[in-house]
Amino acid sequence: MSPELPRLRKKLKKAALLTIVSVLFVAVFGIDVVNWVVDIDWGWLNAARHLFLIGAFIALYFLIESLWKREQSPAKKLSFTLVLTVPVGISVAVLALLSSTTFDVKNDVLIPSGFDAVLLANVYGVVIGSMMLIVLLILRDIILSRRRKGLRRNLLILIGLMLAAAISTLPYARTESGVLSSVLLGLSISLMLVVSFRLPWIVYLPKREKLFSMAYCFVLLCVFIGFSIVTLGESSIGRALMFYSRPLLTIIRSTGLFGAIYFGMAFATTLFHLPTAEAFDRKITEVSSLHNLSRLVTQVFDFNELVDSVTKMTLEVCEAKSSWLEILTVTTPPRGLLGDPRSDPMGETVSLKNITHEETHAIMSSNGESIRKLVLTSRKAIVIDSVRDDKRTEHLRKLNNKFGSMVIVPLLSHEALLGILYATKDLEYGFDKEDVELISAFADQATIAIENSRLIEKSLERERLAREMMLAQDMQRKLLPQSLPDVPEVDLDALSTPAFEVGGDYYDFKMLDDHHLGILVGDVSGKGVSAAFYMAEMKGIFQSLSKIYRSPAQFLGQAHEALLGTIDRRSFISMIYGVLDLRDGSMKIARAGHCPMLFRSGGTTEYVKPTGLGLGMGTNPFFKKTIVEETVRFDRGDFAVFYTDGVTEARPPDGEEFGYERLQEIVQSAETSSALGMRDAIVMAVDAHMRHEPPEDDLTIVVVRWTGKTG
Amino acid sequence: MSNFKINVRESSTVNVLDLKGYLDAHTAPELEKAFQNLLEEKKYKIVVNCRELTYISSAGLGVFMAYIEDVRKNHGDIKLSNMSPKVFNVFDLLGFPLLYDITKDEADAIQKFTSAKK
Repeated sequence: MSPELPRLRKKLKKAALLTIVSVLFVAVFGIDVVNWVVDIDWGWLNAARHLFLIGAFIALYFLIESLWKREQSPAKKLSFTLVLTVPVGISVAVLALLSSTTFDVKNDVLIPSGFDAVLLANVYGVVIGSMMLIVLLILRDIILSRRRKGLRRNLLILIGLMLAAAISTLPYARTESGVLSSVLLGLSISLMLVVSFRLPWIVYLPKREKLFSMAYCFVLLCVFIGFSIVTLGESSIGRALMFYSRPLLTIIRSTGLFGAIYFGMAFATTLFHLPTAEAFDRKITEVSSLHNLSRLVTQVFDFNELVDSVTKMTLEVCEAKSSWLEILTVTTPPRGLLGDPRSDPMGETVSLKNITHEETHAIMSSNGESIRKLVLTSRKAIVIDSVRDDKRTEHLRKLNNKFGSMVIVPLLSHEALLGILYATKDLEYGFDKEDVELISAFADQATIAIENSRLIEKSLERERLAREMMLAQDMQRKLLPQSLPDVPEVDLDALSTPAFEVGGDYYDFKMLDDHHLGILVGDVSGKGVSAAFYMAEMKGIFQSLSKIYRSPAQFLGQAHEALLGTIDRRSFISMIYGVLDLRDGSMKIARAGHCPMLFRSGGTTEYVKPTGLGLGMGTNPFFKKTIVEETVRFDRGDFAVFYTDGVTEARPPDGEEFGYERLQEIVQSAETSSALGMRDAIVMAVDAHMRHEPPEDDLTIVVVRWTGKTG
Repeated sequence: MSNFKINVRESSTVNVLDLKGYLDAHTAPELEKAFQNLLEEKKYKIVVNCRELTYISSAGLGVFMAYIEDVRKNHGDIKLSNMSPKVFNVFDLLGFPLLYDITKDEADAIQKFTSAKK
């Protein structure tokens, strides 16, 4: 279905209703004209006239309802009522004054003085009747805008009573008054009082709107009293309306009364609430800003946005002239323990509102005891009622009385000072007790918010670091050999696990030429990130120098030289380097402060420990002199085990180190014929020794098993 | 709380540091501080007695390396004594005996200082 259709239907409905209303009003007028011309009392015509009128007002009701905006606030509706009733009232009054028509009473029947009287009666009836219908609907909406038990019921009863009073007048002649209608009117007046009694919408109006609505209500009260007087009395308008329709007059009268009562009550209520309006307004702002701030606490992660809201709301809640926040960059430790009241923590002024950096600086610093310092030491809010007279703000007098009064509140969190909140007013004695309490409450909320945002920042930072470390770990894993060299003469296996995300252990293999395989294991002193950097450097050194310096001793000497420029005096790298000749199974080994190699050959397992300083220790020529090369010869099935001190120094909590003897024993007794088997035997032994606790140090094992011919 | 302790003694012109306990990355700064203090007082003849030293990590070794150069530049030395075999093994592995005087006895170390003086 096209969306145009319902709209079209609504328009058609309105047009139809308007037509019905106009036709019926015209018909009534027509009947009146006929009655005027032909002076015969036709009962059926009169009955039809009544029906037409009722029909006209029912249609009018639907027409108004279809044009209605229900969601308007009571205050808006008030002004609308004013705009509607005042011009109508004035024009009707003017019309009544200008015209000289009268209705004579003859045998309780109203006789119009002329044709113009009939016309005027119709105009009054339509205009005032329509207006009162609208007023009634407005009153209904205002009253129902705040739901209360029984209110809707009372209102419906009231309208029912008004209608009943209207209908009860039908059997009577035009000027006759009936007892029943009087009783019904009395009842409806009492109900009017009931439904007008409590007007909660007024209470929540801001002060400005209260003043406005009070004025509106007063004018409306006068208007409706005027209408009531006019319609109740024997005025020409009253007569004309009575002539037009007695039931309508009854409804107009009671609606006028209702309006007078309701707006009178509203006026009185507003007047009654006016003295507390300001306090009420403030409470409302207070509640809403505290609410906003506490929402901020949980929602705003951006520090700048947060502090900005804090000062902005400070301005709002106590109508301060300027406000700013000082965030202490180094939070003070709890007082008494380590806190030194003499040392002023550094602060950063942020989020300035209506004030310049120069001015805040002038306020915060002074030669004597600055107010800032007072807050820092007392950790309590300070109120300066008169900047001019207060001794603590002597230094501000030269600022041309720019500041009348000020409040300085500390942001305290668990006794640690996060910052200071400042607010100033132009007036002296501008901050009363409530203001200070409010700003203090505000500062508490701000403290939580700031702390929250800092914690979030911290945890984000931690997350970022964790991610970085993951990346680093990945990178480092790639620095270790991705595959073992495929050499038929040797069976190799290796394992390296860092204690933390990254470590300082390193091992590598390199074919130096067709017949020589370099096997390197190194260990950077220390653990973690710093060690990882040196480990990466080792990789570079090995890859670039190993092919140039073929002998292990030569290589270590060059590696030391390369490292000397970069390595910290406290750090060193231990390294063991073997170059295996694949043709005869001989391996030259040099050691730079590293754990000795284990060599299982024939039935024995021995440590091979040539002398040598750790890399990075001692001057260059001296270092080279210390490095001694040894040679071992493999027979088929012999094992060489390289490792780092993570193996020998593996120590369970409150236990002893794994040690060299244990390692020697394991290697000696391992019943295996593969490098992998040997590696796993060692790993399992260490793990058992650690009672399956995670290792505290980086741990590396490289196993070489000779499978080539015996030289 | 710390399971590491340093006691500083002055015997004649030589300063003796008694190390006790577990010297690792956490406790190394204490030893560092002790060396710094001695250097500030221009005391460059230092014997480190390791009789009660039960463990030394690479960070602990690093402390000796950090100060040896300065000390030797001022015609002093850091000598080590009374190591348990286990602790000696750690020093030895890294080649410390090549760079440092390591004696069995504190008296020997002091003796070496005094005889060198003459």
